[in-house]
Amino acid sequence: MIRPDKEFVGLKNYIDLFMNPVFYKVLKNTFLYILILAIVNCAIPYIFAFVCHFVFERFKEFYKIAIFMPAFISLVVGSMIFMWILNPLSGPVALLLRNFSITLPVWNITEGLAIVVISLITSWRVFGYNFIILYAAVSGIAPDVIEAAKLDNVPLYKVFKDIVMPMSSATGLYIFVITTVMGLQYIYTPISVLTKGGPNDGSSNLLYLSYHEAFVVFNSGNSAAISMVTIILFAIFIVILFKFVESRVHYENE
Amino acid sequence: MKTNKLVQLLWHVAFIITVLILLYPILFAIANSFKTNAAAFAAILRLFPVEPVVDNYLALFDKIPLVHIITNTFTVAAIITMVKLITAFCAAYALVFIPVRGSKVLYFLFLLSMFVPFTATMIPNYLTVSAMNLNDTLMGVILPQLVTGSGIFLLHQTMKTIPIAIIDAVKLDDIGHFKIMKDIVLPLLKPQIISTGIWLFIGAWNEYVWPQLILKTKENYTLPLALQLFVSEEKGSNFALIMAMSVVTMIIPLLLYLIFQRQIIGTFTSSGIK
Repeated sequence: MIRPDKEFVGLKNYIDLFMNPVFYKVLKNTFLYILILAIVNCAIPYIFAFVCHFVFERFKEFYKIAIFMPAFISLVVGSMIFMWILNPLSGPVALLLRNFSITLPVWNITEGLAIVVISLITSWRVFGYNFIILYAAVSGIAPDVIEAAKLDNVPLYKVFKDIVMPMSSATGLYIFVITTVMGLQYIYTPISVLTKGGPNDGSSNLLYLSYHEAFVVFNSGNSAAISMVTIILFAIFIVILFKFVESRVHYENE
Repeated sequence: MKTNKLVQLLWHVAFIITVLILLYPILFAIANSFKTNAAAFAAILRLFPVEPVVDNYLALFDKIPLVHIITNTFTVAAIITMVKLITAFCAAYALVFIPVRGSKVLYFLFLLSMFVPFTATMIPNYLTVSAMNLNDTLMGVILPQLVTGSGIFLLHQTMKTIPIAIIDAVKLDDIGHFKIMKDIVLPLLKPQIISTGIWLFIGAWNEYVWPQLILKTKENYTLPLALQLFVSEEKGSNFALIMAMSVVTMIIPLLLYLIFQRQIIGTFTSSGIK
């Protein structure tokens, strides 16, 4: 693989890639991972942060400490623990479900399910971090604005949608981008520990495919092509994001 | 905000369920690490072992040079965190407060670097590190990890929330950027910097892919790497032992967190800007 003299084959790797059905499957998976992560780890922590700060009167500290904890644990460790917890034969979840006569499907060989489970395991870790960061942003909003809204009797969800969200959008944007990065890169670890690309590349994503091509099949040309395609795709993503979203983000000094 | 008591209660329930789900794996690992392997399989649901044993932890010291591995991990994490923080801080400051013609492009490139698949940089980095004869050393692990796109991004976002009026006012006094960084921006952003630092430390501590590539002898391993040893050797058979190793790997970050959580979380709720 690391031969000093490589044959120049022009665009062959790229052509092979675009004609390979696995590429499109993996592309779809990548998108799915990011989608699930965005919903579970952007939308929900945002709402939770808002509720924790504005709705709750007690127990705030406890919730913050507890929710943030898993963020400090290695994903390798987390994947391994979850491997045991979600073991379809003897794991606690399976045993518990058996009491309700539900059998836990063998998720690591079930195509759709593998992606969902891996997303959730990654979410377990990412949720806390996003929650805390968003909580910081939400609690940093000038209280006078909120007071004014209270005086005008603005309903809670409106306060969230029209005041809190826009004013903390700088952080919101950060969280969204970081979560996308995690959807791409972090997810490699659970895939590697639990399914190795999954049933028929069913749980593989762009990153894992790149790794697989380089280190399992020893096809570094393909791997590099995949990496380049990934970079270009996400470069476009960032450009679009910043053009359309960032202009609406509120920064204090503009 | 005054809300309906019922709504509050429902939210509390939602939160409690979330917390239980989030914390269960930790309890699970700790509980099972204190059981013998047989007992663990027999009663996996039991959170409090009937006869707690420390055998698993003692076995860890036999099988691998545990203390050495822990100090390795700590050294690597500390150095990486320090350098990452300093470079990210300076870079973010320059990007936000010293606008030059290529700033936006540079910023875009920094962001893009977060999305580069590690597979693309793994091989070139490996070859470089080998050429420098840093194979199987901690320095080889540290060197390529000294900068972070995400650190720059986060500090950039937080620095942009500083009202530019403050900076302009100081610029009138012609103090020079270094002083501005040190005396104004740094104190204002202390909470963010501390929490970014802690976060980076944890990330470096738990880093697995790159050390796996570089380190060969067990004495030089970092914790997550050593954990993998147990899984490949005794594939799933010594579950309790794996749990014990997991707990050891988890414990330092968790302790750091519990000690500093007052600071971390407390500083999050005070907005230094106002």
